[in-house]
Amino acid sequence: MNTKSPEIICAVATPEGTSALSVIRVSGSGSFELLENIMSLEKNRLAGMRRKVGKIIEEGRIVDEVVAVSWPEGRSFTGEEMVEIICHGIPHSVREIMEILIRNGARRAEPGEFARRAFGNGRLNAVQIIALAALWDTDRGWKAFDSVTEECCRKLLSGIESTRETVEGIIEFGETHLDGNDKRVSSVFGDLMERAQDFIREAASIEKSSRVMIMGPVNSGKSTLFNLLTGKGRALVSGEPGTTRDGSTCFMEVSGRKMQLCDTAGTDGLGLDRSASEAVIDGLDGTERVIWMSVGGKTPPGDEIKEKAGEIIEIAAKSDLITEKETEGVLCVSSVSGEGLEELKLILSRIPGSMSLAGAAGRIFESIKESCSFISNGEYDLAAEHLSEAEIEARRIIGKGENIRLSVERALSGMCVGK
Amino acid sequence: MMNTWDVIVVGGGHAGIEAALAATRLGCRVVLISAKTSRIGEMSCNPAIGGIAKGTIVREIDALDGSMARSADATTLHFRMLNRRKGPAVWGPRVQSDAAEYARAQQLYIKSSGIEIIEDEVTALDGVTDRVTGVKCRKSGSIRGKTVVLAAGTFLGGRLFRGEELWKGGRIGDLSAEALEKDLTERMFHVERFKTGTPARIVRSTVNTAELEVQRSELTKFTFSFGKYKPNDKEEVCYLTYTDKNTMNIAKDFLHLSPLMAGRIDGTGPRYCPSFEDKVVKFPDRQRHKIYVEPMGYGSRDFYLNGLSTSLPREAQLKMVRSLPGFEKAEISDYGYAVEYSYFHFSEIDETLRLRRTENVFAAGQICGTSGYEEAAGLGLIAGANAGRLAKSLEPLIMSRMDSYIGVMIDDIVSKGADEPYRMFSSRAENRLYLRQDNADRRLYRSADRFGILSEQKRELLTGNLKEADTIWNVLEGETVDGTRLSKWCRRPGVSVEDVVTRSRNLVNRDERVLASVILDEKYRGYIERNLRRHESRRDLEKISLRRISSYMEIDEICWEAREVLERERPETLARAERIPGIRPTDLNGLLIYLGRQRST
Repeated sequence: MNTKSPEIICAVATPEGTSALSVIRVSGSGSFELLENIMSLEKNRLAGMRRKVGKIIEEGRIVDEVVAVSWPEGRSFTGEEMVEIICHGIPHSVREIMEILIRNGARRAEPGEFARRAFGNGRLNAVQIIALAALWDTDRGWKAFDSVTEECCRKLLSGIESTRETVEGIIEFGETHLDGNDKRVSSVFGDLMERAQDFIREAASIEKSSRVMIMGPVNSGKSTLFNLLTGKGRALVSGEPGTTRDGSTCFMEVSGRKMQLCDTAGTDGLGLDRSASEAVIDGLDGTERVIWMSVGGKTPPGDEIKEKAGEIIEIAAKSDLITEKETEGVLCVSSVSGEGLEELKLILSRIPGSMSLAGAAGRIFESIKESCSFISNGEYDLAAEHLSEAEIEARRIIGKGENIRLSVERALSGMCVGK
Repeated sequence: MMNTWDVIVVGGGHAGIEAALAATRLGCRVVLISAKTSRIGEMSCNPAIGGIAKGTIVREIDALDGSMARSADATTLHFRMLNRRKGPAVWGPRVQSDAAEYARAQQLYIKSSGIEIIEDEVTALDGVTDRVTGVKCRKSGSIRGKTVVLAAGTFLGGRLFRGEELWKGGRIGDLSAEALEKDLTERMFHVERFKTGTPARIVRSTVNTAELEVQRSELTKFTFSFGKYKPNDKEEVCYLTYTDKNTMNIAKDFLHLSPLMAGRIDGTGPRYCPSFEDKVVKFPDRQRHKIYVEPMGYGSRDFYLNGLSTSLPREAQLKMVRSLPGFEKAEISDYGYAVEYSYFHFSEIDETLRLRRTENVFAAGQICGTSGYEEAAGLGLIAGANAGRLAKSLEPLIMSRMDSYIGVMIDDIVSKGADEPYRMFSSRAENRLYLRQDNADRRLYRSADRFGILSEQKRELLTGNLKEADTIWNVLEGETVDGTRLSKWCRRPGVSVEDVVTRSRNLVNRDERVLASVILDEKYRGYIERNLRRHESRRDLEKISLRRISSYMEIDEICWEAREVLERERPETLARAERIPGIRPTDLNGLLIYLGRQRST
C-alpha cells in the first residue's frame, strides 16, 4: 500500500480566535523549501531538526514574525518532511499565512489527513490505529451529536447544489436559450447566503455543547489525566482512591477544537462517591463522549455507560507501571511518561461540534460570498469554481465525499433547450 | 487481395475523417470506406460548428492537427463568441458554416492526404473477433487491414421515422449499415439504441425575412485554427423567430402520430437537442420557443430551422412551419425526421477507444454514444491515432481529463456511459478553468507530440506559440507593479487582460492571442493547481489495490451498507471504491485501517 502523497498539506493546529500564539502544521515532501521560500530563508536552512526565527513576507509586506520548527522525513509525526510554524495568534494573520501557504503550493488538510499519512508511513502502530478509528467514526459522530445541525448542513448543501445548477445552466445555455435567468441568480444567492448564515449560527451553538467525560473506577488516574489535558492544576489529585467527588469542568482546546472536559468521581466508589458517580451516569444523554480509564485497561465500562454514552474511548491507564495490559482496542496512556497522550488528543480532536465546524461553516459562507461577487462581476466561471469549493466543504461535513462532479443531466433537465 | 492496409476506416463522417487523417499523419497507409463517397464530410444536421465546450473541442482538434477547425474556418459565414460576458474560461466560439463548402473542404483534405477512398458498404468484420483481419464489403469482398476504426454513426442499424412512415437508412437519401450491425450483434457485442432527429429545411425564397429578428455576425472575426489563417470573407445573417400558441396546438393535435409518442422508437433521445414534440410534452405551458433560422450556405436555397426538430407527419410539419411569423407561405424542401441507431454499450469500449473484446478494432463517433459533430471528430481523431499507433506497434495513448475536453469525454463515456446521447458541456470538466478555448494549442502540445500526429508545419507553428508564451511569461515573472510581480498581479479580482498589457512596455508587441492566453493561465493558476492536486491525490487511491480482500462482510471497520455494496461491486482499487454511490469517506478510511491491520499481522 502506498499512501504517500505528493501534496503538501497544512492546517492550523490551534483553535481559532485570538490567542498569544498559533501553530500551523505543514507536512509533505517539499515543506522545507516552501517555508524557506515564504520566509525568505537561504536554501537548506530548515533541513534537519531546526528551529528558525524569521518573517513571512509577501509582496514586500511583513505578514508576521514566526518561528519555524522542522522535522526531517522519517522523524516527524506523519513520517514526512514536516514543519510547524509558530505564529502570533491573531486570526487575520493566521488566515493570511494559511493563504500564503496555499498559494505557494500547499493545500488545506482534510480532517484526519495528518493521522492518515502517519498511518500510511508506519508511524502509528496497531493500537494507535484507534486514533484512525475515531476518524472514520466522525460522520457517525455528527449524527449522534446533533441531527439538527446535520439537517441544517444538508439544507445548505442542497442550496449550494441547486445554485450551482442554475449558474451552470446559465453558462451552458444562457446565451442561446434562456431569457431572464441572469436576473434570477441574485435572488438565489440571497437565499443561499441566508442558509449559510443559519449554518454558521448552528455550528457556533453546538460548539458550546461538546462535552467529554472522563470516567472509570476509582484511582485510575482520571484527575491526573484531566490536569494533563487541561494543563491546569484544577482537579485535586492524590494516590488515595476516591479523591474526586464533585466533578470538575474545564473548557479546553485540542488541535483547534474547543471542548468541555469533565472530571468525575470513580464509578465503583462508596457513599458520597457512589451517588456522585450515579448522578453523572444518569446525566448522560447519549451524546457525550466518555473517556473510560482503568488501570491497565482491565476494567471495561459497565453496560449502563455503554448504553448512555455517545462514544467511548477506552484507555489503559498507568501504562508505565503495569506490565500486563489489555491492549486490544484500548489505548495505553501514561500520565508519567506521556505515552499515548498525543494519540488521545488526536482522538479528541476528531470530536465534532468544535471550532473546526464553525471554521468550515465560515469558509462555506466566504466561498458563497465570493461566488456572488464574481457573478455581479460577470465572471461566471470563477463563481462556479467557488461554489464547487463550498460544496466540497459541505460534503466533507456530512461525510458524502468530495465527488462533486455535477450531474449535468439532472442540472439541466428543467431547461428547454436545443434544436 | 494481398494488400494489407495499416488502418481501415469505416465511415466518412466527422469521426471517420479525423480518424483517417490522424492515422495518415502517423505515416500509416489508410483506406476510408464510405457507402456514398460524394457525401463524405456532410453536415447531416445543422450548418454550424462549435459552441460552449464544443468550440473548445474544435480548438483541441486543431491543436492535434485535425482538419475540422481549418475546414470550418474556410467556410464560415457567421461568427459568434458565446459567453463573452460570463468569464473567459467559458467562452465558446461558434460559427455558421456553408454546409456544402465544408464537406468539399473536408473531402479535399482526405484526397490530398493520400488516403485511399473506396465506395462500398462494409457488411461485416472479417476474421475472429479477438483479432480481426479486416472487413468484408458488399462489392469489393474482403479488405485486409492491421486495424479497423468503426465510425458508422447513425447508419449503424439506422431507421428513419416520420409520422407513420418508417424506412431503413442512416440519413435521408442514404442506406443503413444493416448488415454490419447484424454482424456486430452476432459477434455478441452489447449494442443499444439511441435516437436523434433533424428539423425541416425551408425554401429560403418563400420566407418573408423582413418579419424576422436579424442576428448579425460579430464584428470581431476569429478562426478556430491556431495558425495564421484569414477568416472567410463571405458573410450571411441569421434570423430569430418564435413559436406561439398555434404552433403548440398543431403539434399537440398530431402528437398521436409521432413515432416517439406512439412508442415505435425505443431509443433514448438527446435531452439537449429535443424534438419539438418533446418540448410540447415536457413544457405544455410554454408556448414561446426560440427558433433560429440559419442559411445552409452562402446564398443557399435552404434555411435550417434550429429549434424545430420533429418527426411528426408531413402535414403537421408544414402547418407548424407556416404558423411561424414570416413563414406563412413557406415551402418545405426536406421534411424533418427522427433516426434511431445502434451504439456500443460503454462496457465495450476502453479508454484508448479500442473495443475491449478485440485487439485491433476501434470505435469513434456516435456509435460510442455521443452526439454532435465536434464530439464525433474528437473521438475520431483519438481512435484513428491509436489505431495507427497499434498498426505501427506503438503503445496506445490516453488523454487525461485534466488536460482536455476530449479527455473528459472519453473518460466519461468509457467509465460510466450515458443513458442518452452524450453532449459535451463545460460543466462536465472539473478543470474547466484550464480547459479553455484560448490555450488548447499549448496545453495539448505534449500529448500531440507524444502521439506523433503532428505534421512538420503544425509542429513549427505550435512550438512557435510555446516560445512566444515563454517570452511573455518571463516578462510577467520579471516585472512588477507596485512591488507585486505582474504574474501575481494578474490574479487579482477584476484585473483584465487589457489592464495587464498596459503595465509593461515589453508586452506591447507580443502576439495578442498568446498574450491574452498566458495572462489567463496566470489569472486562474491558483485554482488550476488546486484542481490538479486534488486529482493527484485521487490517483493515489488508484494505487491501493483491494484485490486481496476476500470478503467485505467481515470488515468491522466499515458500515453494513458499505459492506454489502462493496461485496457486490468488488472494486479493484480504493479509487474505484470511492466512486461507488453510497460509499463514504469514512468507509474508505475503514478500508485503509483494515488493510493496515492485515499488513501488520
